Amino acid sequence: MKYGPLIALLSLYGFLGLSRWSAAAPLNEPIKPLPALANQDPARVVLGRQLFHDPRLSANGRVSCASCHRADHGGADAGVRSVGFAGQATGVNAPTVLNAALNFRQFWNGRADTLEQQVNMVIQNPVEMGSVWADVVRKVSQDENYGRAFKAAYPEGVTPGTIQNAIASYERTLLTPNSRFDRYLRGDSNAISTTEKAGYLKFKQYGCIACHQGVNVGGNMFQKFGVMGDYFASRGESTEADLGRYLVTREPADEHVFKVPSLRNVALTAPYFHDGSAKTLDAAVDVMFRYQLGRVAAPEDKAAIIQFLNTLTGDLEGKL
Amino acid sequence: MNLHPRLKWVPITFLALVLASILGFLYIKTRGYDSSRYYETVALLRQLKQLDAHWELDVFRSRMGIDTSYDSLVDPLDSLTQLWQQLQRIVADQPANDRGPLLRISDAYHRAVEEKTRLIEHFKSHNAVLHNSLAFLPTAADDVEKSIIRNPTGGNLPAASLKVGVRRTLLNSLIYSQVPTEDQASDIQRDLTELSREAGEMPQPVRDSMDIFCAHVQTVLREQPAVNALLNSIAAVPTASHLDEFDSRIAEGQRDADSLMQKYRRDLLIFAAGLAGLLLYAAIKLIRSHAIIQRVNHELVAANESLEQRVQERTRQLRETQSELVATARQAGMAEIATNVLHNVGNVLNSVNVSANLISTRMRESKIPRLADAARLITDHSHDLAQFLTRDERGKNFPGYFDMIATALNAERTALVEEIQHLTKGVDHIRDIVAMQQSLAGAACLVEPVQVGDLLEDALRMNAASVARRQVTVSRDCSDVPTVLLDKHLILQILVNLIANALQAMDSVVDRAHELTLKAQARSGEEGPRLCIEVEDTGEGISSDNLPRLFTHGFTTRMSGHGFGLHSCALAARAMGGRIAAQSLGIGQGATFTLDLPLNAAPAPALANL
Repeated sequence: MKYGPLIALLSLYGFLGLSRWSAAAPLNEPIKPLPALANQDPARVVLGRQLFHDPRLSANGRVSCASCHRADHGGADAGVRSVGFAGQATGVNAPTVLNAALNFRQFWNGRADTLEQQVNMVIQNPVEMGSVWADVVRKVSQDENYGRAFKAAYPEGVTPGTIQNAIASYERTLLTPNSRFDRYLRGDSNAISTTEKAGYLKFKQYGCIACHQGVNVGGNMFQKFGVMGDYFASRGESTEADLGRYLVTREPADEHVFKVPSLRNVALTAPYFHDGSAKTLDAAVDVMFRYQLGRVAAPEDKAAIIQFLNTLTGDLEGKL
Repeated sequence: MNLHPRLKWVPITFLALVLASILGFLYIKTRGYDSSRYYETVALLRQLKQLDAHWELDVFRSRMGIDTSYDSLVDPLDSLTQLWQQLQRIVADQPANDRGPLLRISDAYHRAVEEKTRLIEHFKSHNAVLHNSLAFLPTAADDVEKSIIRNPTGGNLPAASLKVGVRRTLLNSLIYSQVPTEDQASDIQRDLTELSREAGEMPQPVRDSMDIFCAHVQTVLREQPAVNALLNSIAAVPTASHLDEFDSRIAEGQRDADSLMQKYRRDLLIFAAGLAGLLLYAAIKLIRSHAIIQRVNHELVAANESLEQRVQERTRQLRETQSELVATARQAGMAEIATNVLHNVGNVLNSVNVSANLISTRMRESKIPRLADAARLITDHSHDLAQFLTRDERGKNFPGYFDMIATALNAERTALVEEIQHLTKGVDHIRDIVAMQQSLAGAACLVEPVQVGDLLEDALRMNAASVARRQVTVSRDCSDVPTVLLDKHLILQILVNLIANALQAMDSVVDRAHELTLKAQARSGEEGPRLCIEVEDTGEGISSDNLPRLFTHGFTTRMSGHGFGLHSCALAARAMGGRIAAQSLGIGQGATFTLDLPLNAAPAPALANL
């Protein structure tokens, strides 16, 4: 009994330590909380924010980035398709710009490796903004404020590259931390309700987690739309955009393959899917069960999952 | 080498420059190679390889279900891109001959990475589906059983058979997921067909759940080989081997560069050794030269000493010779002086001789014997003196006779006195000449105020006999010449000489009048006031050939001359700061000698004192 007090002290320490750990340690889950804000040059971010909201980037000055990536709609468009500078409908539903920096590729079919490339493609897209870079650079250069800001932020001044980088820098700051689920993941076990926890469990059990995982709850892989059933046959009216990644790789195996979208802020970004066919989260979850998981969910399980999905909405803190 | 001393430096400088540039070249070559870039590249390649291996490992972890998110398969993409860009920059920095192969390897590597990325994308898609179906299979089997229980049919046997079939298929599928074989797949496929047939007789809910079960089993059968094939393909992508190839290629370049540098180092060492040898050689040379210089120096010192002795000896001899010479010169000088004096004295003696002759002649022709005759007559007639004086015829003439004798004797005495004065003057002149020679020996001049006119008269008188003999008409012009300060005897000597010469020159002339003109005038020249005395004759003249030689010692045109007169005149004139010039239009044209002297006017008070 010589070591009695020491053992008691150690047990006490162990108990305190364990309880502290169990209270606040991050959970080891397939979903990871959002990282701290990416460290971006403030001058470039401010510049990018201005450009993001500037319709002069489009050919006729009608639309800006923010026209389709709406601040009041979770960084996505409320319409099924977006309307380009000339009134034409875009090929797919506009995905959200929020947390887009965490996607491993950009666009539904992942044709852009970086945000800069994404900006480049959208500005030159004949439906979306319809600009040529020479015009954009000229218009931006003519603005004295831009001229000064670019001089300050970039040694090379206004160029296509710096415009792309400024917008991308801004977009890299558009993260939505502090969702209730992230707080839960960081160890705050009371951040989400029991039902929501149950929803998360179902989310994992039904296999949603197989694709919607990682820090962005998706956005890190491609998947065929309609693994367990032919979604496009059921939906009908096939469009070119439905070919998905095939348009990029021209591999038959990539037909109908799309980037798995992030589920962060999913409650805000209806309608869903590349075709905007699901008007509600409920409908979207149904489609997922049917064509991706190939199984039928109990109604209460589906409801729980939808409740869980609502906990993924984070704070934009007025950044958009 | 018989090079100019300055040219000698050219090859040495050139050699030094060549050696220095070789040294510089080798030094730069040994320094130029920077191995840190190689190690940087190696580090980069290691990093790439490690990243690649990790990526592959993460694929397997995902396959095993250890990793539940695919972020780990996505995250390396950015790093891989960045590192590949670094690699490209390194390739661009390589020497041109290495760049091609390295570029090929790095491109091949990049293509492999792209292929791997593509395969991993497919893997993620298929793996997700496979995992889902595998995870769901037991639940799906349970769902089938539950639906059978919930929907009982007529016979128990088909239901039990179906349940067993589902269980077996589940088990086989799970085994297949671990050990996929073709046989197993075909067995499962066969079982599935059987199950579908059996389920066809079941109620709708059972058929639905059976469809779901079968679909997932089919999915497993489809995805399992696909995933495995993808895994094999991923493992087979030669990213690592390309990196190894790059590494070995770079290492080869490094080895080459290293050996090249070693070579340059060796060269540098050899060169340095050569230089050191050269230096040693130069040092030895220097020491030898130093010894030689030392030796030569000693010899020189010795020679110098002997030379000095010889010089002293020679100096002494020279001094002796010089003193001998001086003595000889003194004798010669004395002889010259004696000649000079004798000549001048001779000139004066001439005049003294004339005077003496004159006196002697006078005395011979004296009336004194007549007086003695008269006295004898008186003595004879002393007894009858009165008678005699009054009566005798001769006696009667006595008074007149005495008167006449007295007058004659008086005149005689006067002439004699005068002549004796001339004689005395001549003797004085001789005395003066002798005194002057003595004083000349002491280089002193006796300067006194002189009337030029008197001088000319004196000079003429000293030649008076010659003048009279040759019937020369003398004209003088010495008006407006002030009293001047001169060495009277020197100038008298010159004038006597010049007049004597002029008179002699006229000896041979018979066809015209003998005229001697003496002119003295004061004039101001460039050198200040001058006194010019001209002695002009109408004699035989001087040929132009002789003119320049006139005043040289020993030059004469006369048989009896000794060529001393004009020379001594020139010397005397020079002693007084003047000069003598001769002009003649030629033979038979007469000649003019001009004595040109600085004019030092005697101060008036001094003149009054005389």
